[in-house]
Amino acid sequence: MTNAAMAGSLAAMPGEAPRPEPAPSPRGLARRAVDDTLASWRTKTGLAWIAIVAFCAVFAPFLANSYPLAVKMNGNWSSPAIKHLTPVDWTLLVVAFCGVITLGLSRLTFFRKLLVLLLILAVELPLAFLFVHPPIVDVFQEYRDLQRQGRLQAVIGCPIPYSPTDRLRDHPDARLTPPSREHLFGVDMNGSDVLSAMIHACRIAMAIGFISTGIAVVIGVVIGGLMGYFVGWVDLFGMRFIEVFEAIPTLILLITFVAFFGHNLYLMMAIIGLTGWTGNARFIRAEYLRLRNQDFVQATIAAGLPLRSILFRHMLPNGVSPVIVSATFGIASAILFESTLSFLGLGLIDEPSWGQMLNQAAGVSGTFTWWMAVFPGLGIFLTVFAYNLIGEALRDALDPRLHGIE
Amino acid sequence: MTTYIIRRLLLFIPVLLGMTIVVFATVALSPGGTGASLLAREGGMDPRARKAIEAYYNKRYGLKDPLPVQYFRWLNEVSPIGFHQNEDGSRGRFGIKMPDLGESLVRHRPIIDLVKECLPITVLLNVITIPIIYVIAIVAGIRAAQKRGKFADIGMGSVLLGLWSFPQMLAGVLAIGFLASRQYAKLFPTNGLHDLRSGSMPFLPAFTPVGFNPGWMLDMGWHLVLPVLCLCYVSFAFLAKLERGAMLENIALDYVRTARAKGLPERTVLLRHVFRNSLIPLITVAVNILPALLGGAVVIESIFGIDGMGKLTVDAALMHDRELVLSDALVLGFVGIVAYLVADIAYVLADPRVSYD
Repeated sequence: MTNAAMAGSLAAMPGEAPRPEPAPSPRGLARRAVDDTLASWRTKTGLAWIAIVAFCAVFAPFLANSYPLAVKMNGNWSSPAIKHLTPVDWTLLVVAFCGVITLGLSRLTFFRKLLVLLLILAVELPLAFLFVHPPIVDVFQEYRDLQRQGRLQAVIGCPIPYSPTDRLRDHPDARLTPPSREHLFGVDMNGSDVLSAMIHACRIAMAIGFISTGIAVVIGVVIGGLMGYFVGWVDLFGMRFIEVFEAIPTLILLITFVAFFGHNLYLMMAIIGLTGWTGNARFIRAEYLRLRNQDFVQATIAAGLPLRSILFRHMLPNGVSPVIVSATFGIASAILFESTLSFLGLGLIDEPSWGQMLNQAAGVSGTFTWWMAVFPGLGIFLTVFAYNLIGEALRDALDPRLHGIE
Repeated sequence: MTTYIIRRLLLFIPVLLGMTIVVFATVALSPGGTGASLLAREGGMDPRARKAIEAYYNKRYGLKDPLPVQYFRWLNEVSPIGFHQNEDGSRGRFGIKMPDLGESLVRHRPIIDLVKECLPITVLLNVITIPIIYVIAIVAGIRAAQKRGKFADIGMGSVLLGLWSFPQMLAGVLAIGFLASRQYAKLFPTNGLHDLRSGSMPFLPAFTPVGFNPGWMLDMGWHLVLPVLCLCYVSFAFLAKLERGAMLENIALDYVRTARAKGLPERTVLLRHVFRNSLIPLITVAVNILPALLGGAVVIESIFGIDGMGKLTVDAALMHDRELVLSDALVLGFVGIVAYLVADIAYVLADPRVSYD
């Protein structure tokens, strides 16, 4: 028995005055919720997987690329991989780099950090499109051919030396080969490397989750906030509005939108956001109904603060916690929706996505290629599972009943 | 309670109208607007076909009218109560009529016929699935709550969360690939609801001199096993987690302590007292389960080649059959709203504590 445990059992001995427990350091509910969430094994597992996905998304062109990282040709070193980076690649790299630095600065609040990052993004994106001009024609086998002809003195290739859209024109017999040492996750029916496509598909998975949930949270908070604050007619009307959106199955609504507006990633994000806000609105409404009669809200009204300030500066921080939980689950379901649409053939055509790869598993010819089902499928499953694990941990941490407060 | 139900029925009308507005707005605001397929195929059509389609759109929407007029014109066509239309296109008397969902310009068939064929199949899938989901979820939830905190409970919690996160299309593809394909175990059929020979089968299974004949009924059951399994597990996991939470919440309440203090056996306490009260949240979420099931049917029907509403919609979207997509969204939205209403009323009937204000 350890010392601490002995001390504990001693303190509990009858007849002896129980020693007063050391008072826990005063922590707010938010602080404690964050600590509890981070301490849970579920969060750690989930965050670990999401970190892997995020890493793959940012560094995809350096992890899986047909162009080598560096080559020595005619005595000169050059980097075909960097030469072929697109404006989007550059933006991602710069924003991720600045993101890591900004998150390291502890002086700023989280909101300010987010604002700084958005500012960097707004400046970076046009600059990248102005100044970065990768070669228009991709000849993926260029450096493989050069190497075969012995014209390269040295080559430092990527870990996976195939781009996702590299159809391996120089190896037509590689199509639909099962996993091997050369292609760890196999090759799909067009001749692209599955692992490479999966790494590049991490981008869509990350982007769709965050952007569409961001849209859903903003709409939900505004509509739910107005409903909860004004009650009466606004509330009645808003509730019917919510019911309209909840009654139409989201997937059907998404298919309708895609059918009429075309296949476009940004549109898909917007639509998933536009259809997914109802849960957030319900939560915020319930919280605001509770808060609107409390003294601090009455005080802000009496002080003559503008409505914007009352709703979002004073009430929102007190009622936001259920929305944080539902947003975490929302990211998971947004990823699921995107992969479902791609699986049904209604997603993007030219960009690799996990759902679209899964669609190739059961081919037209009736054959089943298990590596096209298992690997992309696991990618979707693990990412969704990771977000759901974090969401559960967050919900448990934010539930005051589990802390014995009530 | 009667006032609540009447109130609920009255609120059903604006929700229904709102749904039609959302669906119509999607079409009207899309690039090209209501008559977009005219523009899209302008070059490739011979003048007569073009004229016919133009006449169709003009009759249906009145392309030259402003959008609100187009909306009401379309609403009058699709609603079962409205103005009859005479042969010459003028407005007839007001009354109950057959809703006209338009015509699929790709399949060249009235959409109402397509819906009549497909909707019963989707409803059948859901009617089979829902009781299975609820029974298994309730049993699993009670088991988990009984063993609270033990390994079985925690293990089951993670397994349920995993099931809930498992993409339905992956489950469907794996099920077809490993259990139904010719390469691995060919245990189940891969496609459709019936065998090709089912037309000549007797209704019930029978032993014939040629061999065992599964019969129409068993054949369909056999075709339904994998789709129903794939449709079940997500909602089942969600409900089981909910049931466990509800049981635990109720176990902590005073009335349970009273029941235990009376000396009732633990089994009676759980099954007679706690169980009944823990069912209420399950009825509440039936509202959310039904649209989710309808959405899940889209994926499952597409994978297993079942000709239900989901597959009809996806195929229509893939073939750019705008009229069909529009009507499918309308029909499924209507089914969703009705399901919503039924669940809401069931909730009031189940829990007398609900406030009726």
